[in-house]
Amino acid sequence: MRLPDSVTGSFLVVLGAAAAYGGYILPPVPGQPIGPNVFPLVIGCGLALCGLAIVFGIGHSFEEEEELVPFEDGQAAAPPPQGRLYGLRALLPPALLLFYVVAADRLGFIVTAAIMVYVTSTALGAKWKLALPLAALSPFAIHLIFGKLLRVPLPAGLLPTPW
Amino acid sequence: MLKTLLDAFALISTWEVIIAMIAASVYGLVIGSLPGLSATMATALLVPVTFYLSPIAAIATIVAASSMAIFSGDIPGALLRIPGTPASAAYADEAYAMTRKGQAELALGAGVWFSAVGGIAGVLSLMILAPPLAEIALSFSTFEYFWLALLGLMCATLVARSSPVKAIAGMFIGLLVSCIGIENPGGIPRFTFGITDLFGGIEPIPALVGVFAVAQVMRAMLTPEPPPLPRRKFGSIMAGQWRLTKLYHWQMTRGNIVGIIIGVLPGAGADMAAWVSYAMSKRFSKEPEKFGTGHVEGLVEAGASNNASIASGWVPSLLFGIPGDTIAAIAIGVLYMKGLNPGPTLFTEKASSMYAIYLMFIIANILMIPLGIAMIRVAAYILLAPRSTVMPIIMLCCAVGSFAIGNNMFGVVTVAAFGVIGYVMEANGYPVAAMVLGIVMGTMVEQAFVTSLIKSDGSILPFFERPVAAILAAMAIGALLWPVMVWVWRKVKQPQTAAATTR
Repeated sequence: MRLPDSVTGSFLVVLGAAAAYGGYILPPVPGQPIGPNVFPLVIGCGLALCGLAIVFGIGHSFEEEEELVPFEDGQAAAPPPQGRLYGLRALLPPALLLFYVVAADRLGFIVTAAIMVYVTSTALGAKWKLALPLAALSPFAIHLIFGKLLRVPLPAGLLPTPW
Repeated sequence: MLKTLLDAFALISTWEVIIAMIAASVYGLVIGSLPGLSATMATALLVPVTFYLSPIAAIATIVAASSMAIFSGDIPGALLRIPGTPASAAYADEAYAMTRKGQAELALGAGVWFSAVGGIAGVLSLMILAPPLAEIALSFSTFEYFWLALLGLMCATLVARSSPVKAIAGMFIGLLVSCIGIENPGGIPRFTFGITDLFGGIEPIPALVGVFAVAQVMRAMLTPEPPPLPRRKFGSIMAGQWRLTKLYHWQMTRGNIVGIIIGVLPGAGADMAAWVSYAMSKRFSKEPEKFGTGHVEGLVEAGASNNASIASGWVPSLLFGIPGDTIAAIAIGVLYMKGLNPGPTLFTEKASSMYAIYLMFIIANILMIPLGIAMIRVAAYILLAPRSTVMPIIMLCCAVGSFAIGNNMFGVVTVAAFGVIGYVMEANGYPVAAMVLGIVMGTMVEQAFVTSLIKSDGSILPFFERPVAAILAAMAIGALLWPVMVWVWRKVKQPQTAAATTR
């Protein structure tokens, strides 16, 4: 997901300009020159300026230092297989969270959580022998802590918990 | 004074607080020791649990978990050369070199012992620094608060190990996020796009969980599993620590002081403290050539430093509501929720709660020694747990935890969205910590800014008229211009060094 600085910078210019415009068109408080519109205007302009600076590569020279964090040897030795769709795997966690939003009320917490755990675990390379028991047990553990002890109203759905 | 202290003792000597502290300590030790899960993330995941605790117990969990996690990040750093938290990254190489020399006990023992000493030094600084600063702060008006908040935001960008321009951009994004909702000077829905859920604004906590926890799981999807930990036998862990304390007492003190100063600075936290102290230790050492070959001196100084910064990071948080680091930023959210609104009056009106916080810090740091030793002993087993069992459970905690904040599904959507935002920002070199600071402080910055502008009738001049405001303004503007100055200085210096080498 490493994009060139010119792309991210331009995006920030657009975002900043949109924010400034969005702030500008907000209705003012009657009889008061300063209202809710000032802050977004200032922020938007600042953001757009930063975006411009990034497009022109100002401050880029500071970024080498990032490499100071030592990475483990194994990572450099075995580069991950780079397919075209490989990068999309990163979107799996947010997609699963959205799946939880959509499905939890209908399927219930236990079933939805089990699916989430199984998919995440398998995607990280676990065999079914590990992923299946994990998916079967961990939702109950989490439900015990959050649902039972902390009284978070988790949806029961298809499979109510025994407690 | 004595009565408040006794009150504070009464506050913390309940079963709820004691159990919460021990449980949070164990939790912090485990999370901190797992590579890739930082102390900030440990604290962020703890927040939903604190909803259901009494105020003091809630703060106890955060104090205990963050102190423990910063120490236990040293464990995989020493055994595997994979720092458990970014704060341990500075000296992971050094500690690993000691392990290879067969001195793993000494390295880890130094970690736990000097962490505890550093933590206690940090608490002392919190106790000594905070009350006089609170007295000064009581005379602050919105102008001073505005500059102070701006200074806090600027510090976050100064210390980021990335392009300062990108850090400032990250901060602006955070401020922009804080604009969403109807909680603004006019009470008008702002940037809500007609979505009812956005009227309440973006809560800082789901945003934090998203950028720190979900983004980490996303990165794990693309990186291969780190190598498993080889099993080792350990000798005595604490043997030789007293000798080291006497030998390196000056390094330890310096580490403590540097850690305290960096912790107090808004935006700079334990990882910064560790890097600076390790570098200082090498610079001033009598035997700098030994650094990197398994020399304990740097470990002493950096270990003492990063834990000192954890406690002193609470100074600006408690006084001004300006977080000293990301952990303190989360703590501020919890303080507000529990009716302990940060500010100078906290020290006069709720003095016993303040003392309770000090006491909890001291207890946590003492507790760190036995629990830390136990943790080092079982570390071999915990680190054997593959990533594919830890990450799914973190995902579940993210989903349930963010739901629990408001018992509504919008929190889960926020977490997912900020996971993506955090991942993209991190991948492109935009520091997410700066954005988080922006989100946390946005409302306060805007309030101070707009109130000041209304008071001054739209004029900029009063922002500089009061003496303290003028000093703070000079510092903030200096921080803003800092990258420009460095850039110019480098441009000037480059031809000179080039000329020097050709000569």
